[in-house]
This record gives sequence, structure tokens and C-alpha cells, in this order.
Amino acid sequence: MNDGLVGRPVMRVDGRAKVTGAARYPADDPVPGALHGFLVTSTVARGEVVGIDKSAALAHPGVVAVYTHADLPRLTVPTFPYIKGFIPLQGTAVHHAGQPVAIVLATTVEQAGEGANLVRIDYRAEPPTASIDDAPQPPHLPKPFRNRPNEIARGDAAAALAAAEVRLEARYSSPPRHHNPIEPHATTAQWDGDSVTVHETAQGVNLTRSVLSTAFGLPPDRIRVLAPFLGGGFGSKGPVWPHTILTVAAARLARRPVRLVLTRAQMFTLTGHRAEFRQHLRIGATRQGKLTALVETTTAQLSRTEESIFNESDSTSTLYDCPNVHIRQEGVPLDLASSSYMRSPETTAHFGLETALDELAWQVGVDPVELRRRNHTAVNQETGSPIRGKRLLDCYRIAAEAFGWSRRAPRPGATKDGDEYVGWGMATEAHTFAAAPATPPVTASVTIGADGRAVVRIATQDIGTGTYTVIGQIAADALGVPLDAVTAVIGDSALPYAGVSAGSATIASITGPVDRAARAARDAVVALAVADPRSPLVGVPAAEVVTAHGHLFHARDRERRDSYRAVVGRHGRPVETTGTLLNAPGHSWGAVFLEVRVHARLGSVRVTRVVTAHDLGRVMNRRTARGQVLGGVTWGIGHALMEHTAYDRSTARVVNPNLSTYLVPVCADTPAVESHFVDHQDPDSTALGARGFGETPITGVPAAIGNAVYHATGRRVRDLPITRDKLL
Amino acid sequence: MKAFGYSQVREPAEAVRAARQTPGAAFIAGGTDLLNLMRDGAQHHDHLVDINHLDLASVADSSKGLRIGGLARMRHVAEHRSVRERYPVLAEALEASASPQVRNMATIGGNLLQRTRCGYFRDAASACNKRAPGSGCSALEGWNRGHAVLGGSEHCIATHPSDLAVALLALDAVVHLLGPDGPRQVPVDGFHLRPGNAPHVDTVLRPAELITAVEVPRPAARSRYLKLRDRATFEFAVVSIAAVVDLRGGRVRDVRLAFGGIGTTPWRSPEAEAVLRGAPLTVDAIERAGRALVRDAVPRQHNGFKVELVQRALVELLSGWGGSR
Repeated sequence: MNDGLVGRPVMRVDGRAKVTGAARYPADDPVPGALHGFLVTSTVARGEVVGIDKSAALAHPGVVAVYTHADLPRLTVPTFPYIKGFIPLQGTAVHHAGQPVAIVLATTVEQAGEGANLVRIDYRAEPPTASIDDAPQPPHLPKPFRNRPNEIARGDAAAALAAAEVRLEARYSSPPRHHNPIEPHATTAQWDGDSVTVHETAQGVNLTRSVLSTAFGLPPDRIRVLAPFLGGGFGSKGPVWPHTILTVAAARLARRPVRLVLTRAQMFTLTGHRAEFRQHLRIGATRQGKLTALVETTTAQLSRTEESIFNESDSTSTLYDCPNVHIRQEGVPLDLASSSYMRSPETTAHFGLETALDELAWQVGVDPVELRRRNHTAVNQETGSPIRGKRLLDCYRIAAEAFGWSRRAPRPGATKDGDEYVGWGMATEAHTFAAAPATPPVTASVTIGADGRAVVRIATQDIGTGTYTVIGQIAADALGVPLDAVTAVIGDSALPYAGVSAGSATIASITGPVDRAARAARDAVVALAVADPRSPLVGVPAAEVVTAHGHLFHARDRERRDSYRAVVGRHGRPVETTGTLLNAPGHSWGAVFLEVRVHARLGSVRVTRVVTAHDLGRVMNRRTARGQVLGGVTWGIGHALMEHTAYDRSTARVVNPNLSTYLVPVCADTPAVESHFVDHQDPDSTALGARGFGETPITGVPAAIGNAVYHATGRRVRDLPITRDKLL
Repeated sequence: MKAFGYSQVREPAEAVRAARQTPGAAFIAGGTDLLNLMRDGAQHHDHLVDINHLDLASVADSSKGLRIGGLARMRHVAEHRSVRERYPVLAEALEASASPQVRNMATIGGNLLQRTRCGYFRDAASACNKRAPGSGCSALEGWNRGHAVLGGSEHCIATHPSDLAVALLALDAVVHLLGPDGPRQVPVDGFHLRPGNAPHVDTVLRPAELITAVEVPRPAARSRYLKLRDRATFEFAVVSIAAVVDLRGGRVRDVRLAFGGIGTTPWRSPEAEAVLRGAPLTVDAIERAGRALVRDAVPRQHNGFKVELVQRALVELLSGWGGSR
């Protein structure tokens, strides 16, 4: 297996199609007769719609219909993964600014947009609350979300904290942030009688189908959801959002296909975000830096209609060995849209934990890497069972050596180069990846045609991570055919079942089924060959047949050979097999070491060097895995230094709903990244030794940058982003 | 976006005529700002007069100075050899602006007329006196990290976003206009207006007037541009400084200082210049100049750091000029 395709830095099989524009994204293909939809959104954040005047909009050229709560049929509010608590256009209540209050359909997108401008809405407005600081009520502990409790207690944290030799107490915060995939969310709905086809920018075609099934009371088999390519999602296209439901409803009312593409500004209120977040950490430790108590209370923004918390404290609970832990994940309802998953939900709480460990390391005089080694654990802190195949200690060693950590200056503020202070920082990275549900099981099918080519079908998605490529590698290896003899067909709910591409679950959940289906197909073709008198392999025991390069060989006499093409050709019909295999949730880990330069006079922070090492079990594709590291590090730089959604405190409207004023890093902000992988088979993996990984790199980057800024300057910034005004 | 009419013109006079005769008309050149303004609902025009075909794109340098056509693209000016050699502050300001793609399209005239990036101005649902006179200013008590500490009024504290205008201000440039009443010239110093009681009026430009050229006298001294921002490129200034300093024997013979990011207009500081003029260029003198610059600053909740930052930036820029540190 080691000389196969799996693990190699194979180029993306869809790369050429993407860069030449041949890849068709969900809103790309024209739909004959389709109307364009445009949402009218609330200008106020709290109150009620008291009047709607459609007349000017309906008089506008090209406008076909304007639908409001008075027009839409009553729909059923779905539960997870519909993370909203209500469907707009079902009543008059307004729960956040930017909430849809009407949908305009027109012949062109420009006419629909101007029609939306012309719909006059009158509101009874109430003053909203937009920030945790302004909330009238104290935070509360919401009910468990998806069976995950918001309070976790192990041991006696209070007593251990009181008795600790060393104590540390600190408060950290992260601002609200938005996903901002380049491709805007888009829905195209086409009804045919009581069935509907939905072209959707979805991270989960089956999740989207299940939500629509609930909302419209339709059997799932009447709904087909298609998402062949995705222009980035980062969690924002995992849940289903109101515009999807409203577009499907409008298409039914209008008896015409409808396409709706959100504007960038609408994506700031209609597709989730990372909630504003506060973290109060108290740590007890020995003088040697061994953790004895972790007491954490977090506060996240909630909405008036949804109580779920997505800034998860997994790292505080599970990353280090600590017998006494008490975590409370509290929330405060505000008049904002509901938050949701965003790439690496742990990131916000992880920032505080990894910063606090750095503070503890300075306090007790222990190197930050050594402090983490002393608190390393190979035992699952929540269940007490051993973790097999955890190579985090290797990550520390590899990254530290590659970075040159041993040459680190022992004191903060000690290194200056020209006008800049130079600082080094590190942090652990960790992410909990999800398992696909057991029912229905994730299933792949493999079909070998008379041309000897294989088609893999599975209702998974490629959200930009390389799923097409890795499916090809897995199937080609299992079959013994070249990569270009495999075609992956994905992104269609009509295909064999798979789950959502979120929680870093794709590779972990589809690899087993694809491998099994491909091995079954190989075995079936071998069985045909050895039973076929026309085959040179007739009579050879199946176990003695090997496959490679599209051929079947006798293992001990390679002159006796046949080919997939010949065998299936003689068979006269395609060979089709399926495979299923469950997977379990787990963790991937890593370490990030980096260097920053802080301008002594101007407070500018530059990240100038980054070295990472990650333990993700077996690396399926070194190139796409590295792509996840590059993206994660880049986003981590954004989180640390600039990203911030600004809400106006009196109107609760987003003040920077565009990529001109919501800053993300540009190339000049991102240095070269040296990435290492501890490449090994995870013994508990059902994915050929691989684990879910995509969201792991990013988790430690903001803390590593803050820790490096401290090392450079002696200034500890606990509130992100670290903008220059905090360092003057 | 509202539907609009569109026409092309070939001669400057024809452009002015078309704009005067067509109600609700605006000129469009690169369109890098105008189209966003129209999409965001911050500006409405019933008709666009496309001036891209006017013969106003040339750049010419002579012993008297530089003449830049109003339709010269930012990239063309920034790459011009004379500009790089003799007006480095101009090339530096242009190259610190926007992105290469935007600089390929955006024109010099359009750059001077671009509108503030204040989030409230660009959100049609927010109160903004610049966009909707009399509706109020959301920034005074709102998210004002990017806003001005100098030159504001109780009606508006939005900054002008142009780097180019800051450089031209330090160079004593003059804007050439053509309007229904014929040509006229307006110094860049005075071209942009403080908000006062009429924040919706950004400049002295009259209806249907066209920027035909910008003339820049050749400076007798070195010039430089320093821009500080929240990411490395493709972002507006938090604080910027254009400086033209004539330094003889360690003393400042003459100096012109203009600032971006801190004022409601590109900001010239005669007070700071007066402190430096005739003085040795020491850190102490520069710090006194900085204090003079911000004497009347009115910081708000989120932008107070600019008062300190601009003084540090001034030291950063001038203390490396060749004088003593």
C-alpha cells in the first residue's frame, strides 16, 4: 500500500476545471425560465413589521411577485441543522437586523434588486442590544445542545484551585467574526409537481434535504439537492439558512424556477457567524507547572430565538492532563442573528487556554513547550480510556527543532532588529473531528464499466478540501488502476448516502466506505476473471490475483494477465458494488511555532516565520493536507491581528459588511509556512489510518501570535484582535 | 441598483454639456468607487456619462512641474519615471493605495472625488448626514475607529480616504476644472471641504464640473509618504503622512506636511510646519511639531489612539530624514 497513491502529494483532479472556469458551481448553470429572487431585509433589529407597501415594487419593470408573511404558507421550523429557531416571513416579529421580511421575484437580478429597494416596510421598533457589555440580564447556562452539556465538572476544581501552589487568573475575549467564503450562498429551486430540485451551496446535500423535508412536510425522496462544487464554506454552508427555505417556497408559489444569490452584506446577517466571546480562566498548578485545576466560565452571544453555543471548550476539557476541571459555557441573548459553527469552533476558547498556559510558563519559569509536555496526556480526560496513537509529543519535538526554539531568548523584549522587537511564540493545536451518524450508514458505490474505468458515487461534498482527489486516490489504490481511470461523482443527494462536510468529518467518514466499495469491485472483477474460460487467469485462486495499472495478474506468474476493461467487457454489463463502514469521532493535534516582529514605535505586528507539525494519523494527500495548514495559519493570522465584525451598539446593524472594511489577511500579511506531518496509521481509524484534520490548523495560531507578541514586547494582549492601538 | 442611462462622450466640453443637460447625471471613469456607491445605495444617478474616451490621460513633466491628466490611471502615474524620480511622495502614495487591479482602472480625478469609507455612509439604512442630510451622524457615538480626530463637526467625522490627495496637498498641487462657465483652477488645499453644517458636500466641485488635470509644482526638496494601516496592503490609512522637507545643513529650510486618516479632509498642518521651519530636525522638534498638529484634536470612543499614533508616525518619518535621531 505504501507505494500507492494514498499519501502522495497528488495534484487536484479538479484543479484544471476550477482555474479554467469549467467547474460549474451551484449558481453557475442557467435554468430556463428561472426568475431571480432578492430578499428585502429588516432595517431594524428588534420589533415588528406593521405595514408593507408592495405597489412601487410591483410596478417596477420586470418584477413578477413580492411575497411577504401574508403570502407564504405556514412552514414547519426545522431543528438542527437549521440553527435559527424561526423561519422568516411566517409572522411579523423582527429578531435581528437583516432578517428577511419579503422576497421579490423578477426577470433579471437587477430588477429584483431594485424591486427589493422599492418595497416599503413600516416597523414598530424597539431599542436592541448588540453587545455582551450592554446585555441587561446576566449570562445564563443554556440547556444542552445536541446532548453536549454546557457545564462540565470533574474532580473538585474549587478545592484544588484553593490548594494550588500557583494560581493564575485571566480574562480573554474574541470579537464576532464572519466566515466570508468567496462564493456567496446561492439557491436555485425548480419544482416539478410535488418534487423539487435544489441547486445549493451546501456543505451537506443530505442535511439540506432533511431540513427542506421538515420545513415543507415533503418526503425526502421528493427532494434532490445538488452541490457539485463549493467556493468555500468554513461552516457557513453546513447549516441550512432561511434564504434556502424562502427560495424553495417562492418557487412553489410562483410556479417558476427561482434563483437567489445572497449579497455580501446579506451574508453578514443570514448565514451564521462566530459569536462574540468572553472567557474567564482560573488555573491551579504546581510550582513545576503541572496543572491541578482548570476553572473556566465562558460567555457567548446568543440570539433571541436560538440558545446554542458554538464556541466550544473542548480544549479546556480534554487537551491536557488535569484531574479537577469545572467549565461553564454561558450565554447572553442579544438582538443579533444566531451564531453557528465556524471553522474550528474550539478556536475562541483555545486562544484563552493556550495564552494562559504561556502566562503560567512565564510565572513558574518553565519553557512553554516543556510546560505542555508536563501536562501531556494519553488518556481521554472525559472517559478515562486510553488514547491510542497520539503523537502530539512528536509534533512539539519536530516543530521546535525545525524552528530552532532552543535558541529562544530567555526574556521578553530582549531581541531587537532595527526598529522592530522580535518575539517567538508557540501553542498546541487540537480539534475534535466528528463522526457521521450510524443510520443511515455512509455508503459508497463503485461501478466498473466496459471501458475499464471506475465511477465512485457518494453523496459527499468537495468544499475545496480535495475530496474528489482523495476519493480517486483511495479507489485507484484499492482497485489497482491509474488515478485517471477513476471518476468521483459527488454532491448530489440522489447518490449513496453520506453526511455533511463539516467537523472535519469528510475524510474520516467516507474513506472506509469508498475503500470497501472499491475492494469489493476489485474482488468481483477478479472473481469474474478466474471463472471466465476466456481469461488467461481462469482457474487461478482469487487470492493469488493482484491488480495494478488497470491489469489483473497472477501473483507468481505475471505473464498471466487480464485487464479490468477486458474482463468487464466480456461480462457484458458493468460491475457495481457498495461499501459501508462507520467511523468514530476523535482528535487531531499539532504544534505551531512562529515569529513576530513588532515595530517599537508604531505597534505594527508582522508574522514573519511559521513552522507547524501535525499528527493527523495517516496523511492521505500531502498536498491537500498542506493546503489545510496554509489556510488555517492564514486565517489564524486574520483572527489574531485583524478580523472583527463591528456592530453598531444602538442599531445592532453590522457596520462593516463587506470585504473592504471586514479585513482578512492579504498575501503580504502571510509568510511562508513550513509544515511537517507525523505521518502514521491511527490504530483506531476506520479511514485507512487517517483522522479528520481540516480544522486542526488555526486553533493554536492566535495564541501563538499573542504569545510571540508578549515575548517580543513584554505586553500581554488578551483581547483579540491585536491591533496596533493595543500596543502603543 | 436602479436602472440608469448611459452615454459616451469624446470631448471635455461635450462631457460638461451632457452632464449639465441630463438630470441626475454623473461622470464615470474607472468606476471603482462609483459603482460600489450605487450598489450600496449610498448614491443614485439616473444617467452616467462615460468619460473614458476623453483625451485627458497623459502625464507630462517639465521644469515647471508635472501635469497629470484627470483620466490618467493611478498605475500609469505611479510608474511614470519623472514621478518616481522627482515626486516620490506621489508614487509612494499611489502605490500604497488599493490593489494593482484597482490602480489599473482608477483615475486621478476619480481618486480625488472618491467618497468616505465610513460604514454608516455606505449603509443605506443607517443615519448619515453625508448621505442623507439631516438624518444624523451614527459615527459620533458609534463604531468610529476609522474616523477623524481633526476637522469634524457635530454632523460628521468621516475621513477622506484618498492617499493621493494627501500627497498632492503636501506638494501644493492645483486642480484644473472645466465647467459650464468655463475652466478654473483650485488648489488642492481647499478643494476638499470640512463637513461643518453641510457634510454632504465633499468638495468645491460645482454641478457638471470635470477634473481635467492636476498640476504639481516641482518640489525643491525630498518627499516621502508613510502609511499605517491595519493590514499590509489593500487597505485605507489609519494614519498617513506626506512630507516634503527642504533640509539644509541639518536645519529645516522649508517643510510641508499633510496627513491622511486623522482629518475629515486631507489635512495640512501649518502649525506643525511652523514649529519645524528654521529648526534643526531633532526628535524634540518633531515631537513639538506633532503636539502642535494634534492640539485641537477631538478623539472619540474608538479613534483616540490616532492622536498618539500620528505623532509617533511623524517622528518615524522625519527622524529618519537625514537629520539627527
